[in-house]
Formats: sequence, structure tokens, C-alpha cells
Amino acid sequence: MGKKLKKGEKGAVTNYITRTQAIKKLQISLAAFRRLCILKGIYPREPKNKKKVGKGSTKPQTYYYRKDIQFLLHEPVLQKLREQKVFARRLTRAISKKEYALAKNLEEMKPEYTLDHIIKERYPSFIDALRDVDDALSMVFLFATLPTDDKIANEHVRTCQRLSAEFQHYVLTSRSLRKTFLSIKGIYYQAEIMGQEITWIVPYQFSQNVPTNVDFRVMATFLELYETLLGFVNFKLYSDANLVYPPKVDQQRDEGAAGLGAYVIESTQGQDLLSDLARKEGVSVAGTKADKKKVKQSEKRLKSLGEKISAIASAENDDNEEDLDDAATAAPSDDTETDLPQSLAPATTDEESVPTLQTFAQASTTLTQFQNLFRGCVFYLSREVPRYSLEFVIRAFGGEVGWPSTSGAFSPFSEDDPRITHQIVDRPPVSVDAQAPNAKGVQGEVKRYDKREYLQPQWVYDCVNARRLVKSEGYRQGETLPPHLSPFVVAREGEYVPEVVGMEVDEVEENDAEGEEDEVEIAVADEEEEEEEEEEKDEEEEEASIDSSDEEALHQAELQAEAAGLTFSEFQQQKKKQQKSNSKKAPVAKESAAEKQAREERELAKMMMNKKDKHLYNKIQFGKKRKEEAADKLRQKKAALKQSSGGVKKGRRGA
Amino acid sequence: MKRTREDRAVKKAPVSEEGESEDEEYDFRILNDESDREAEDDVPQQSDDDKADGSIHSDADDIGSEGEDALSGASPEDSDGHVGSSGGDFDDEEGEGGDDEDDEEDEDEENDDEEDSEDAFMSSDDDDEEGSWDRGEQRSGGPLRVLRRKPRPEIEAEYASDSSDEETTNTVGNVPKEWYEDFDHMGYDVKGNKIVKPVKGDELDQFLTTMDDPNAWRTVHDPVEGKDIILSNQDLEMLKQIQSSGFPDGYDPYQPTVEWFTSKTQLTSLNSAPEPKRRFVPSKLEGQRIMYIARGIQSGRIVPGRRRERQKPKYFSIWDETDEPRQDHPMHIAAPKLPPPEHMESYNPPAEYLFTPDEQKQWQETDAEDRLTNFMPKKYPNLRSVPGYDRFIQERFDRCLDLYLCPRIIKKKVNIDPESLIPKLPSPKDLRPFPTTLAITYRGHTGRVRAISIDPTGQWLVSGSDDSTVRVWEISTGRCLKTWTMEEAVQFVTWNPNKTISLVAVATQARVLLIELKLGGAEVEAATDAIFEQIWTLGTPANGCEWSRPSASDQRLGIRAQITFAKTVTFVAWHRKGDYFATVSPAAASTSVLIHQLSKRQTQNPFRKSKGLVQRVLFHPSKPFLFVATQRNVRVYNLLKQELSKVLQSGAKWISSIDVHPSGDNVIIGTYDKRVSWFDMDLSTKPYKTLR
Repeated sequence: MGKKLKKGEKGAVTNYITRTQAIKKLQISLAAFRRLCILKGIYPREPKNKKKVGKGSTKPQTYYYRKDIQFLLHEPVLQKLREQKVFARRLTRAISKKEYALAKNLEEMKPEYTLDHIIKERYPSFIDALRDVDDALSMVFLFATLPTDDKIANEHVRTCQRLSAEFQHYVLTSRSLRKTFLSIKGIYYQAEIMGQEITWIVPYQFSQNVPTNVDFRVMATFLELYETLLGFVNFKLYSDANLVYPPKVDQQRDEGAAGLGAYVIESTQGQDLLSDLARKEGVSVAGTKADKKKVKQSEKRLKSLGEKISAIASAENDDNEEDLDDAATAAPSDDTETDLPQSLAPATTDEESVPTLQTFAQASTTLTQFQNLFRGCVFYLSREVPRYSLEFVIRAFGGEVGWPSTSGAFSPFSEDDPRITHQIVDRPPVSVDAQAPNAKGVQGEVKRYDKREYLQPQWVYDCVNARRLVKSEGYRQGETLPPHLSPFVVAREGEYVPEVVGMEVDEVEENDAEGEEDEVEIAVADEEEEEEEEEEKDEEEEEASIDSSDEEALHQAELQAEAAGLTFSEFQQQKKKQQKSNSKKAPVAKESAAEKQAREERELAKMMMNKKDKHLYNKIQFGKKRKEEAADKLRQKKAALKQSSGGVKKGRRGA
Repeated sequence: MKRTREDRAVKKAPVSEEGESEDEEYDFRILNDESDREAEDDVPQQSDDDKADGSIHSDADDIGSEGEDALSGASPEDSDGHVGSSGGDFDDEEGEGGDDEDDEEDEDEENDDEEDSEDAFMSSDDDDEEGSWDRGEQRSGGPLRVLRRKPRPEIEAEYASDSSDEETTNTVGNVPKEWYEDFDHMGYDVKGNKIVKPVKGDELDQFLTTMDDPNAWRTVHDPVEGKDIILSNQDLEMLKQIQSSGFPDGYDPYQPTVEWFTSKTQLTSLNSAPEPKRRFVPSKLEGQRIMYIARGIQSGRIVPGRRRERQKPKYFSIWDETDEPRQDHPMHIAAPKLPPPEHMESYNPPAEYLFTPDEQKQWQETDAEDRLTNFMPKKYPNLRSVPGYDRFIQERFDRCLDLYLCPRIIKKKVNIDPESLIPKLPSPKDLRPFPTTLAITYRGHTGRVRAISIDPTGQWLVSGSDDSTVRVWEISTGRCLKTWTMEEAVQFVTWNPNKTISLVAVATQARVLLIELKLGGAEVEAATDAIFEQIWTLGTPANGCEWSRPSASDQRLGIRAQITFAKTVTFVAWHRKGDYFATVSPAAASTSVLIHQLSKRQTQNPFRKSKGLVQRVLFHPSKPFLFVATQRNVRVYNLLKQELSKVLQSGAKWISSIDVHPSGDNVIIGTYDKRVSWFDMDLSTKPYKTLR
């Protein structure tokens, strides 16, 4: 017979420890404990059985995993925190005694801790770190834009600015940006690094509203951790990409608000990537007469490296181009097919269960094409567009960017550069009437170049999300923009999928793209759903003849009606009838006897379910129903909008 | 003014003993070098022995005069020379002493030059009250501290203030000088010898000497001594002071006060307690600490005066290719990522995602925690009109809080097709035959039918109703064979399971009637009658009820026995063999269950106490068990052992009915809360299955 166990010696009780007990065990204050928890990534647990863990009591209590706390006992940071406490006491005593020399000595010996061991411990491998870098990025990008005050230390803001710029540079050079999204909260980006999808949000650059109910000490502790994490991650990323870390900061450019251009990204072979890029482009870096020593030095150094670098650069570029060409030729079918959007790759691969070499090659080709989306495009950003974001996005896809001096110095080219293909503007076009009276004054400012496309910023982001250059209709200056959709949403069965308008490919591939788009929807849906969808599609097709949203079709239908000798009012009536019949078709037809029997049998079977299953079933059905309701609501709204807008258009046309 | 050495009260300092350590002596000499020298100065007037002893004068007065001597005669060089000398160098000292004397002779002349540089070097001593304040420091090995004071001749109130005791060589006495005007002597000494007048030249000589002598202007003739005295600078100064009606010795009554002991400065001690030892013994602890630091510096552990430098660079490579990714641990719950943004969050969403006024209102009215989205969708015509998001920091902060404060739990999300949960039932078609149509309706009762029972042969049906009638029907035809009208509403009817007799038990309110139906033919009739003829011969007392023989008219109707109870009988259950039967009258407390034996006209009360509200009782088909269904449970009694063998817990609110499978292993109970529970007697006391 074994030893008799006492209560609370085995099982779930021994796994958990309350917060109060933990603090007592560690002999630190609550604030220090929380700090430690943040740094070490220790979090409270919700035990499965609170009553067992609470030794009978179920009062709300915070439980921690006991081993977490035991590991904390040996934490060097804990020791340092204790030392800091003692240090603070000594310092205040010295100051209050006016022993300033002693205070100074103490200050010099202030205990400081490092977090590198914690980073290594929390993220044993680099992949682990990348998985958890989302929050760090969002936080660092936020603090990079915050004003410094008594709560936010200047050094933190500086570090954040630096770290965020470094990371952006890595994304640029590695071409790993995948998705972008302009939300009302900020701009979301998603990059794919080493197979990990990293999503972060950057606030719009306005002065941030610093709320009073936010505890910045907590934020500072998180920031401390995140800065360290991101620093190490950046280091690893840079060193893996054979880049020098930390990149040098060109002081002059930094002060001149050159943004990303202020950082000198060098490869470990002593190659200055950015300067190379500039050299290749044949655009000399715009520098004022008052060039400081630093720039001169770097130029000198570059000169000394001279031909070798340019040789390497040209070789590399050639390689790249060859790669692209190879990829293009390697693809099995002709050009138009290879130009198909890449988003469809998974859908097509579904059919072939076994991936072949060909599919891999195709995938890599499509990826390379996507990464060089803006290759050959030269953008000029008007001063009212957010350069901090557009510069990043465009350059992440191989485009070139220039900007006016009002939004920052050191633009690689000026507005009148003939190579510019796109100009990103976000201001209403000046109407001809307004221009007429004071023609010269205005014209100097809004000089238009014929060869360029004047597009709104959303075009750039939509291009990235669509993975191809979308048609510029709807995005031109002054035009009403098509809705901007989130690329993060994956449509599931029964969910509402908003209509994609204006996402046609530039020039030729228009029709193909449409077809593929439909396929995607179908591929996503299940078999059962497919039928419904098809029905819907049929309906849509029928509707299309007099669809109010589709202006062309409507116009054509009207013309036909006119030719047939119908008056407008008659045509309207006919249309209404058709709509009605459509709507009648939609609701479920009266159920047949067989259906009734099936339903009854189902009801019977449901009655035979056991309690657990029934609960689960009801829950699933509840969730489903809620989703359906939400989707239905959207559909109804959409229909209402369609109708009202149709009515308006009708009215306009009639008048 | 001249200082008289005779006036000095000279005391001898205690002679230092032979055995005294040299160090101490040496220290002493350093401290008192001036007094040493002074002692030597004094030596000529003292005995030589004194000097040979090396005795040291350390009297207060002595030191005071010493200071003055230094003032008047000794140059710093002299004193320096003394500092280094050891006690043994007498010759040197003598020589120096001689020098000093010479100096003293020139005293008056030197005074002029030295006035500025004259510093009274007052060495402190134990007894010197003025010097006591800096003693501690001297003892503890600090530099020799000297109190700098204004040079001033010492005044002794009694002697120095008058000239009565001035030294004179003339012992003439109080004789008028004019008496000796014409003589060449000026008086007589003690022995009677003439004291010769000093040589005096004639008027011309005198005039010439006055012209030659630069000091003629300060030369005064002393008629008593008959000598010319040259006034020193000091004397002149004194005269000047007297002329200006000041103090003759240049005393400044208005000199600034020296603050020896005030609230600000406390140079003197408050008490005269001797210095504690710790004041002059070096601290052991301090020594240890100093040694610790010194060793630290030696070994390089402490680098004085330099800021610690960061050992490592800020960022370095902490991951390499060999790293294993973090293993999944059952207790590790990784923080979930934030959900990605939806279409709704776009700055330019499709119009259908915007809120209607109703939704807007609803959103605003709900609490921030209950909202489905933490923002209100908005549509902007272009990017430049998008404002900054005011809750950005707040949302980041909330995320931070979630990360470190929110308890985490793993919730398994079932990802199954809900249709798979529905059991596959056999098609009703496969379950045929089952009654699908109404075959017969037995019409005749006018009230609610309370109970029916089928006879063991399966040919007849008996029913009892609220209209106080009991009817017997032929099952196959639906013909009502017989009808009995009771006095009260019929609660229960049940057929005796014994096929050899034809008997029905009818419960009407507080009575149970046993009715013979005479349906089975003559044989059965005879068997039934035989039982009833026999029982009335037995005279057994009944308890809890009363057996009575019905009246002749009733007998004719077929009623064979009547049992009267205290309370309403709701249920009657026959034993399989038809001899015993049990009745239930729930309101009768301890006599709620009674077991009757027909053949012996006997009644037993098996339970002494009430077992709660008994609903039903039932005999086990093969074993001597009795099932008693109370409100919630079914109690199973072993009648042979007379004990409770099992309690079946139905979990129902109120049991309505019970039945046992003919094999006796399975029990089903029905309840008023629309449940049927199925118990397996061999398995458990809990229902094997409950059907709703």
C-alpha cells in the first residue's frame, strides 16, 4: 500500500500558484513581478477546474503555472531588479544627505540588466522569434511616431525610429512584402520572411492622441523587450542577407527628412547597395554645396572601391534580368497565360494533387514577377500623399520613387524627369474654368505631363493586393475610387463576398482575370454550396441584362427597348416585373412530400441525439446562423444600395 | 621695555625616564622643539645640571615666554635646526644656545626687521588651554598645527606694570643726585666702594657724538645710572601710544573676537574628559575596507575612476542554424495573434459595410466591451481625408495588457460537420409492422378512464373510470360484457395474473373490491369460489385495513371481498402467482404499502416507517423482491431477508409509473417530467438510458 496522500499534494493543485503566493515566494513587489512577467513572457492561466486548483474555493483568482515561477527564482534580471531597488535607496539617501560625490559614484555603478538571454530563452530558434515579432513591430512603429515627453523617453523614440527603418530596409532589399491595406486605423503590411507571415500596422503620420488612461510604464517595459527582440531579429536578418548591421545613418540626409534614404545599406563585401542602385540609375545623388564631411568620405570610399563594385553590380543586375527572362520562358504556355495573376496559383494546384517540378517552377516565376511588380515604373509622389508608406511599398516591389523637396530632401530625381511613368496625386483636379482666369499662376504649379498617369495612392496598394498592375480607370485624379478591400480576408462558405469592381488587369488580360476570379470563389466553396452559387450566378446573368449597376448593359437594354418601340415607363415596368419574378424565384419553393418526410426524419434523428451532441450541434448551428444573418444583412444592404443608386441613375438619365 | 627673566616662574617638567621609548621622546621633541630651545636659552641662568639632564620645560608660562622669545629673537632657521636634533647632541645645542644669546644682544636692532615676519609659533601642550583644540589632530599623525596669533609681549599684571622692580646696577640709594654733582663718583656700593661716574666728555664732545650718532635722537640720559639709554623702536612706539593716550603696550581693545566656542564654531571641547582611544587608534574596519579596495585595484577587479563599459555589443548573433525550434509543451499556450483586418476596417469600404443610423445608434449604446467591432466603419473619398486614428495607442496598450494579464486557456474548437452528429436512424419503413390505424374504440365510459387491465388469457379487458363504473370488454370485438357501478370513482383496476381463476381487483377511493367475472367457464368459476369460501373460515385479524364480506346483493353481482382502508388506495399490484397482492395508499404514511394474501385473508405491513410518498409497488416476476417507487427513487426490498437491497436513482422529479421486464433484469420507470428511465438491475443503480 502506497503512502497516503494529503489533499493538495497531487494533481492540478500542484501545477498552479496564485499571484499572491508567487509574489511572496519571489519576495518582490507586485510592480516588479509584473515587469518580470512581461519580460519573461509569463502569463496567468485559467485552470480547467478552478475548484480543484483553488482547494475548494472558486473565487476569482489569478493563477500562474508553478514551474514558471520556479524558473523565475533563478532569473538574473530578478537579481538585478533587487539590486536596482537597493541602488535607488542608496542614491536617494546620498542625495538627501547632500553627499553628491557618493551619489555620482553610485550613479556610475548603477546596476543594469540585459535581455539577450531572455530573448534566446523565449525564442530558442529564429523562426520562433519571427512568429512573435508582429506585436513588436506594431509597437515599435507606433513609438517611432510618438512625441517625446516625460512619459516617453527620447532615446526610446530614437531607437524605435531606427529599428523600424532597419526592418523596412530589410523588407525592401529582400522584396518580402506581400500585402498592404489602408485601414481607418493605420496601414497594415504583411511580409513573408522565412515562410512566416509577419503582419504589422503603422499609424498614419499625425500627432498621436496620447490618452491619459494608458500606463506608459507597462508600455515602456514591453517596448524594452520589443526593442531588444527586434534588434536581434534585425541583426540576424541583415547578417543572413550579407548586409552590414547596424546600417550607417547619413546624418545630413536624416536631418533633411530623406526618410528611408538616410540609411546606408551595405553588403558585407563593402558594397553600398543603395548607392549602387543610384549609380545604376544614372542619377547622381542630389547634394547641396554644403555637403558635409561624411558624405564626402563615403563618396571617396565608394570611388576607391570603384570599378569592382560597378562590375559586381552590373553582373548582379544582369543575373536578375536573366532570371526574370528565364522564368518567363520557362513557363509552359505563352505570354498571356504567364501573366495571369498569381493569387490563383493555389486554386490551380488543387487539381493536381502531386506537385511537379513544373508547378514549383511556375510558382517561383509568379513570385518573382510579383516581387518585381513595379519594375520599370518610375513614380513621382506629390507632396500631399503619404511618402513614408508609398516610398516603402513602391520600392519593395522594385519601383523607383521621387518626391518634391517639400516632402523631404534628396529625391533621386525631380518632377520634370522624362522617365517618370506614374505620378501619385491626391488632390482634386483643377477644373478648366477655374484655371482660365489666372492661367499662368496656377499652371506653373499644376503642370501636367502628357506621358504620365496621374493616379491616386490607393492604386499602388490595390496593385500589390491584386498582385498585378490594375487598370487605372477609377484611380485617376479626381475619380471616385473603387472600394478598397482587405487582402487578409479569406472568403469562406456562406460568407458575404463583396463585389470586386475595377480590379481588372491593365490592357489585355481583362477577360481571363474575370474568369479566374469566379473560379476562385467556386474553389473556395464546398460542393453543396457550389450549386447554390451556380444558381446565384444564373440569376446574376439573368439580371445582368437589366442590371442597374452595370451601366453599359442597362444602357444597351434601354436602347433595345427603344428600338422595340417601348416607352421608358413601359421599360421600367418590364424591368420591375423581371426583378419581381427573380425575387420570387429566389425563396424556397413549396416543399414536396418527399422533402417533408426527409425533414421529419431529420427531426426524429435529432431527437435521438444525446445531450452532449445536441448541445454541440445547437452551438454550431447558432454560430452558423449568426454568420449567415450577418452575411444576409450585408446582402440586403447591398441590394438596397443597388436599387437606390439605380433609381438615382434612372432619374438622372430620364432628366 | 625689557623682559626680566627672573620674573618667569620656571618649573621643571617631569624628567623623562630612561626606559621611555625613543619614539615618544622624539614625538615630544617635535611638538615642543621651541620649548626645547627655550629651555636651552634659559640654561645660562639655570644650573648646568638641569641642562645636562635634558629636562624639558613644559610649563604654561614657560611656553608663553617661549613664544615671546621666538618673537623677539629666534629666527625660523634656528628652530628648524633644533627639530632634527636628538637629545644627545648637547654640544651643538650649547653652541646654538650661544648663538641665541648673541641674538639677544642684538635684539633691539633686529626687532625692526623682524616685526613683520614675527610669528608666534605656539606649540600646543597638554596643559596649554589655548592649544588644546588641535591636539587630537597632532596625535593622530597630522601635520603640526600652529596657531597663528598677533605677537604681543606678555604682561604680568603685578610686576610689569610698574617700574619699581626694574633692575638697577646703581645701589646708591635714595640720595639726591645733586649732592654728587661735583664729584667724580656718584655714590657707594654695598661694600663702601665708590661708584665711579661714567666718563663724560665736554660739551663739544657731547655735541659731536650727538651729531655723529644716528641714534642720538632717541638717546635719553638716565640720571640714576648716569648712563645714556637708546630707546628701542618698541619703546618709541610705546611712547607714541602713551602720547596718544592709548595703552602703552599697543594693546588693541577692539580687536575682533576669536570664536572658540559658539553655535557656529566649536573649536574647544565641552568637557575635559580624556580623549577616547578610538580617536587616535586607526580603525580596523576601515583598514579592512581599504585593503579590499586596494586588492581589488591590484587584481583589476576595480578600475578606479572609469565608467563601466558595456561588455558585449548591443545586438549580436544569438541564433544559428542548429537551433531547435521551441517544442510544444502541454502547459505552454502561445499568445494568439491579433485577427487580421476585415473589409469593414478599410478607409474606403464597400458601401454595404457602413452602418445604418440604427446600427450606429446601437453601436454607440452598447458598452465598449460588448461591441462586435471596436471601431465604426467609415468611408472616406480619398486618402488625404483620412484622419489619424485616436485610439491607436489605447489599442496597443490593450494588447499589451492582454498579453501579460489575461489568463490563457486552451479551448478545443470542434471542427466537425454538424450533420455527423445526427444519428442515423433506421427508416420507419424498416420497422414495420407497427400499428398505423385505429382498430377498435371501446365506447361506454362517460368519465375519464383511470385504469385498464387485460386478463391473462388476453381475451378480456377491464377498465375503471371516474364515472364510478368498471366495465369488462371483449378485446377483439369491443363489446361491453359487464358493467359494475361503484359508489365512488374508480382509481385502479387490475386483473389477477393467475389463469386458473378469474378475478379483478378494483380500487375505489378507500376500498379495494375483489370481483369475480365468471368468464372462464365453470372450472375457473369453481376455483375462484373455492378460494372465497375458504377465506371467510379463517379468522385472522387484519392490520391497517379491514376485510369484509360483501352483502348478498353484491355477491350476486360478483363482488367476493371488500377491503376497507383508512386512506385512498391508488394502486394495486398482484404477485405473479396471484395469491399475494399489494396496495398503495400514499396518504396513509406508515401503512401506505400493505401486502395482502388472498388465500389466507391476511394483511401485512412490511414497513414500520413511512418511506416517503409511495407511487407504485411491484413484485419481481421471479425473485422475492418488492419494488417500491417513491417520488424520486425506486427502493428494492428483498422480502425473504427483509432488507433493502438497492435504491435505483432515477434522477427524475416525480415518478409516475414502473414496470419490470418479465425476465426481471430490466426496469423502466416513467416520470411526470416526460422521461423514461431504463435501469439494468445488474449494472448500476443509475439509469442505463434516459429517454425524453
